[in-house]
Amino acid sequence: MEDKVIEVNFGPQHPSTHGVLRIKVKLDGEIIVEAQPVIGYLHRNAEKLAEMGGYPKGMIYIDRLDYVAALNMELGYVLAVEDLMGVQVPERAQWIRMMMVELNREASHLIWLGTHGLDMGMLTPFFYCFRERERILRILDEVTGSRLLYNYFAIGGIYSDVTPKAFEMIRTWTEDFVKKMEEIQSILGKSYIYVSRTKDVGKLTAEDVLSYGVTGPMQRASGIKRDVRKDAPYLFYDKVNFEIPTRTEGDVYARFLVRIEEMRQSASIVKQVLEKIPQGEFYNKKYSKPMLVRLKTTGESYVPTESPKGEFAIHLIGDGSSIPYRVRIRSPSFANLSSIPTMLKGYKIADLTAAVSSIDPVFGEVDR
Amino acid sequence: MNLFFFLMSILYGIVKFLHINFIPFKIAGSPVGLWIAYFIVAVVEVVLVFVLSLVAVIVIIYVFRKYMADAQNRIGPNRVGPWGTLQLIADVFKLLQKQDIIPTAADRTAYKVAPYLVFTPVILGFILIPFGSVSILNLMVVNFNYTILFLIAFMTIAPVGEIIGGLASHNKFSLFGALRSAAQDMGFEVPMLISLISVIILAGSYNANDIVTAQRFIPFIVPEILGFIVFFLAMIGRQSIPPFDLPESGSELVSGFSTEYSGMRYGIFYMGNFGFMALSAFVVSVVYLGGWEGPIFPGTIWLVVKGAVFIFIFLLTWISLGRVRIDHLLLMGWKYLLPLSVINLLISAGIALFFGGLF
Repeated sequence: MEDKVIEVNFGPQHPSTHGVLRIKVKLDGEIIVEAQPVIGYLHRNAEKLAEMGGYPKGMIYIDRLDYVAALNMELGYVLAVEDLMGVQVPERAQWIRMMMVELNREASHLIWLGTHGLDMGMLTPFFYCFRERERILRILDEVTGSRLLYNYFAIGGIYSDVTPKAFEMIRTWTEDFVKKMEEIQSILGKSYIYVSRTKDVGKLTAEDVLSYGVTGPMQRASGIKRDVRKDAPYLFYDKVNFEIPTRTEGDVYARFLVRIEEMRQSASIVKQVLEKIPQGEFYNKKYSKPMLVRLKTTGESYVPTESPKGEFAIHLIGDGSSIPYRVRIRSPSFANLSSIPTMLKGYKIADLTAAVSSIDPVFGEVDR
Repeated sequence: MNLFFFLMSILYGIVKFLHINFIPFKIAGSPVGLWIAYFIVAVVEVVLVFVLSLVAVIVIIYVFRKYMADAQNRIGPNRVGPWGTLQLIADVFKLLQKQDIIPTAADRTAYKVAPYLVFTPVILGFILIPFGSVSILNLMVVNFNYTILFLIAFMTIAPVGEIIGGLASHNKFSLFGALRSAAQDMGFEVPMLISLISVIILAGSYNANDIVTAQRFIPFIVPEILGFIVFFLAMIGRQSIPPFDLPESGSELVSGFSTEYSGMRYGIFYMGNFGFMALSAFVVSVVYLGGWEGPIFPGTIWLVVKGAVFIFIFLLTWISLGRVRIDHLLLMGWKYLLPLSVINLLISAGIALFFGGLF
């Protein structure tokens, strides 16, 4: 054999590509010479479909982008539409939105942690993470009426108020979660095998991060302290206290620690929201449902939000009709995935799964 | 389980006893009675060992599923039979019904032979385990001077089946699985054999039964704790269960060497793995924990209890640990286990020289 390099297709059907990612890998033995991500296997035309109905109808497609953190996606769309239309949102609705988004961020990170454990060959953390996620989903079910795709945020507020029972559920959850967090973190973080496999693996320097447009926990693990919630506060993020966890190593282990710390911060945000939430209207009466279909305007809006995967925003252009002219989605997973060639070069096959799962890609969002 | 072994030992004693009574029958000077007796004994022994190994596999798979489910906040199998005990039988029937798919580009003969190469040596290995002794009778199907060597030989054949299966499937993931299997076996086999040599030095015999009787006062785990650690880790590695499940490595290589296998061929791989687990638990307890030696209870029960402890430790590592990387694994095998086993060899040689009478 003269040519020792073998080309292997990881995916699109492979147990650890989190959906339908395909990576063309050139391997010299166990070492990765070149890795090229290929996407487009879950393309559902979400952008174009959102441009075909009225402004409120776009929500159902945006919901299905990042289907493990659907409320975060909805928030991006709702904020963009409200910014475009100049809609006033009651305070209570904004606080509730913030709380729900943080809860959904927890659920998304828990899924990431479980599947990351699976990719490292550990089956057990998966079940612990999903047990905790189940509690959050029950809360979301109690509040919104569905477990995965909510369609809860409406233009001008939210569709239904949070019941006292749901508040009680959230309160007990915030008390329990910190303890459970210790447990879950120790399963992975105290395992020598896990730490030795993730340290110095899939490294990205701060320069790489900036040049690829990588955002979110991956960016913060590489030493760039940037979080839209702090830098350009939307909702009431400037009225709650929380830290932005950052690490400088830029490897998979740093991303693990950043995400774990982020979950703690999210829980503390939820706790603060519970204390500060005011009474009042939960939607703007002017934009009650019959009015929604007649929303018309010209102009552009772009409101960046911090989704669990990174900076998510929708560039909305209105041309005066009741149908948006353009719904451009800035999806964080797409930008994060583009760092795969840099991240994998020179590492081993076993590091491929570790590095790819540390991106936390969700393909509904990548292939929009 | 214990009752089963106890009944088995009684049955075995009866058969051995019959064998003495058959001897006087002679036809035209040739000892036909002896031949008949040998034949009956051989058949009964083989059937018993086959049943034993299958029962061990079934019990281990059931316990594994329930134990794993318990550790993961699940219920586990609970529908088929009482408490889900018949789940494995149902699974086997399901696998038997499946279409037998062989990839067109595969090497058909090698592809078909590979699962049996994994499963058969495991059953053959059970022949050589000393299950106890009833008065003067050794409960051991085959008893000759080099039992341990043959035992190790059988345990070495099994991974060859994995390598052949991986190479024959004509799939890149299978190929990687096979290569990893080969590298892993190299890494663990040498330290394992060296630590076994030190046991043979202490016992002064290659016979498994003699190794057990040599431990009647002090089990070998006491003087050879280093060798025990090396041997135990090597045994986990040879079974390719987590944390050393690199040849299969579900999340990296799809399913490693068994990627293309489906239906009962895959089932035989699966059963072979669990049979290997039972076999290695028995081997570890025979070599380091004194096998059937123990007070009060019959020897067979002692062996089963010791084996069960090791099986639980295997399952616990399976459930709780992640997968190591191939370079970490090879580093461990060659850089730490090999020197440790050599040190252990020197220690046990010293013990054999100065305190040889102890064993």
